[in-house]
Amino acid sequence: MAPQLLGYAARRLVQAVPMVFVIILINFILIHSAPGDPIDFLLGSSDATEEYIAQVRREFGLDQPLPAQFFAYVGKVVSFDLGYSLRFREQVLSLILDRLPATLLLMGSALVCSSLLGILLGAVAAQRPYSAADNAATLVALAGYSMPVFWLGQIMLIVFALNLAWFPTQGMMSLRAPREGFAMVLDIAHHLVLPVATYSAYHLALVFRLTRVKMQETLAQDFITTARAKGLPEGRVVYRHALRNAMLPVVTVIGLNFGFMLAGSVLTETVFAWPGTGRLLFDAIGARDYPLLMGLFTVLSVMVILANVLTDVIYAVIDPRVVYR
Amino acid sequence: MTDLTRRGLMAAGMAVGLGGRIEPAAAQGSGPRRGGSLIIALEGEPATLTAHLATDTPAMMVANNIFNALVLLDEKLGPIPDLAESWTTSPDGRTYTFNLVQNARWHDGRPVTAADVEFTFNEVIAKYHPRAGSWWPNVESARATGTHSFEFRLKSPFAPFLTMAGSVLSSGANILPKHIYEGTDPRTNPANQRPIGSGPFTFSRWQRGGFIELNRNPNYFKAGKPYLDRVVFQVMPDPAARLLAFERGEVDFLHWYIVPYDRIARMRSDRRFTLLQKGDAAATNGLMLMNHRHPQLKETAVRQALAHAINRNTISERALFGEARVAKSHIGSTVAWAFTDRFDYAFDPAKANALLDEAGLRRGADGRRFPLRLFWASGRDYEGRGAEIIKDNLRDIGIDVTVQVFDRTSFTDRVFRQWDFDLAMQLFTTGPDPTISVTPRYHTNAIRRAPFVNGMGYSNPETDALFDSETAETDPAKRAAAWHRIQELLMRDLPALPLFELPPIHAASARFVDVVTGPQGYIESRENAYERR
Repeated sequence: MAPQLLGYAARRLVQAVPMVFVIILINFILIHSAPGDPIDFLLGSSDATEEYIAQVRREFGLDQPLPAQFFAYVGKVVSFDLGYSLRFREQVLSLILDRLPATLLLMGSALVCSSLLGILLGAVAAQRPYSAADNAATLVALAGYSMPVFWLGQIMLIVFALNLAWFPTQGMMSLRAPREGFAMVLDIAHHLVLPVATYSAYHLALVFRLTRVKMQETLAQDFITTARAKGLPEGRVVYRHALRNAMLPVVTVIGLNFGFMLAGSVLTETVFAWPGTGRLLFDAIGARDYPLLMGLFTVLSVMVILANVLTDVIYAVIDPRVVYR
Repeated sequence: MTDLTRRGLMAAGMAVGLGGRIEPAAAQGSGPRRGGSLIIALEGEPATLTAHLATDTPAMMVANNIFNALVLLDEKLGPIPDLAESWTTSPDGRTYTFNLVQNARWHDGRPVTAADVEFTFNEVIAKYHPRAGSWWPNVESARATGTHSFEFRLKSPFAPFLTMAGSVLSSGANILPKHIYEGTDPRTNPANQRPIGSGPFTFSRWQRGGFIELNRNPNYFKAGKPYLDRVVFQVMPDPAARLLAFERGEVDFLHWYIVPYDRIARMRSDRRFTLLQKGDAAATNGLMLMNHRHPQLKETAVRQALAHAINRNTISERALFGEARVAKSHIGSTVAWAFTDRFDYAFDPAKANALLDEAGLRRGADGRRFPLRLFWASGRDYEGRGAEIIKDNLRDIGIDVTVQVFDRTSFTDRVFRQWDFDLAMQLFTTGPDPTISVTPRYHTNAIRRAPFVNGMGYSNPETDALFDSETAETDPAKRAAAWHRIQELLMRDLPALPLFELPPIHAASARFVDVVTGPQGYIESRENAYERR
């Protein structure tokens, strides 16, 4: 099965290439139709002369017609050159790669925590639907699903950072006393707790509710009755037989959510001053930094496509019925 | 010190430590303590860590700790030594000679010489600095006359020259190392991200999006300084979270415009914090710009009616929680030699109604005269609250105002490039010298589709002539008289209505002393700051 699977993954990746170019075109049109001019940000409150403005426009190729700018951009992307940031005056790729680890750490931790916890809670709740525990979990999930990230983040900060003083409010590491080695890892983990909790709330609620519903459906099916009639222990029935079947739609949703989580990183990273790509995106929008915006959207789109391919692969691993051609 | 007298001092524009908790270093025994780390909040990621390309505040806040200028400004906005230990001006006002300190070294150990100064002005600032266009054309030559002496020759006398050279706000006058920049493109030189300067702190590391760490320069040419071991700038974009971090003691300093005016009263009564205000080189005014192309607003009487109808006291009290003063001119009162309040308008809705009636804009059957749009850019809540108060005031004289908010980039585009606005809320600096900051907003040649210039379309040949001639005036009294006349004309013609003067009130942890010592408080270097024993 493994070589078959690899072949399938490779084919999917090749199919994704034209999609990337369509995405680049759409992004290009969207970004350039937003009102505003990057020059305004570059010059700040200065009284620059017309000649200076023209010089800066030439420097960044902003004096070229849009189609020419587009084709020049695509030409560069093919050779993995994402261009030069107007605002930061540095290579876009190096700016993004500098920030990507922080976002992946935050998002990865949130995705793993919320998925595992959501599935576990969902499976437990499905065994005793409408019990007090189930109703309480549902209520909390509803709240987590409804609260906007920036608001939940502020509340987390006020309660756990300001009042209880359990966690730091901002950044990725302690600046007053920099640490080395394992102490630094612990320090980063300490800074990670609140953003991950905030970031996970929505996703956790979604996974929990979906697992619960699917588990309830699965537990009512005949093969579960059969398994129980065979005298299998209840734990084995629930976690080996039922959960494995109920997981399929859950995996799809987790995969789909990857994209939403990337978008959600803007708000979480801003509230907690987390040095990731979400904040970079926020800065790039404010400055109308076209090359940086294009670069970020392109990289994020590629990541979403990769996540979708990965979702399909995971499907095959947990469901032996899935056959790939 | 009671709140009342503190407010009184502030109103007098005096340089005081507002908290009343700053003791002079001498009172502490053996002088300022060495050691400690100061953590400063930045509202955004700096573009670069040098000031020769960027004009964003975060970049300047960091760069001024790493680099020096020729001179700095004291609290009266006069020049004081930095890299230049002395200077002379020729009697005709056209030649400025600077003698540099002998013992300044770049962070890589090389000496700082006049050749660096010559290179910085001729090869970097003249060619690439966004603000050079306003003064460089008047420079005849800028050259080293010895290893440690330097001379500027001007084509015509330019009175604010030293103020401008000393102002990190207006010219980006940081001196760069020639041996690092020579033969490279100063826009892409990697030293823009890993700077090598001559200043009190050396660059240590920049975690992108996170923080910038600077270490004490042990070889700094100002003996004994700086006192701190480290200065760390942490990027904190969210306003509410930033305040929480300050309350928790994770950061030690918030510069004035990231301290919300509604929090100042509370911080003032909290012993953990010190509020600081030292002079005000920027002299920032909040104004309501008026589009002179608008069919009604193009009439002077209509603009004057608006000035009488708007209650600026209410705006200071409600929109700025009583922390700001009413602006009575197009120059801030902290630029004391030039400022006059003689041409201000009284709040008088009856007069406003009469002016509009005389202008033929009588109320219709429904009591309304004509509609106007008022724009503001998100990010400064007080501008939004001010806009709502203006809307209320103008409704009373029969003008219906639609208030609209945009993100800052869209706002700038709409107001200063498209000229598609009626009224707009905008901050303008008016210091450290009005020639640098006021002339470029209201001169006819500033009617360009570019940010923060004369988007109002105001043009008066008489003010233009005064703008052009006052810079050559070497007699301070005559120069002040010229500026008084300019303010009279600006207040009569009203290209913009001055609303409020924003006081720069910074907040620091009370553990630190002298975090701000000069009139350019928030962006100056921290070479005088130290931690209490």
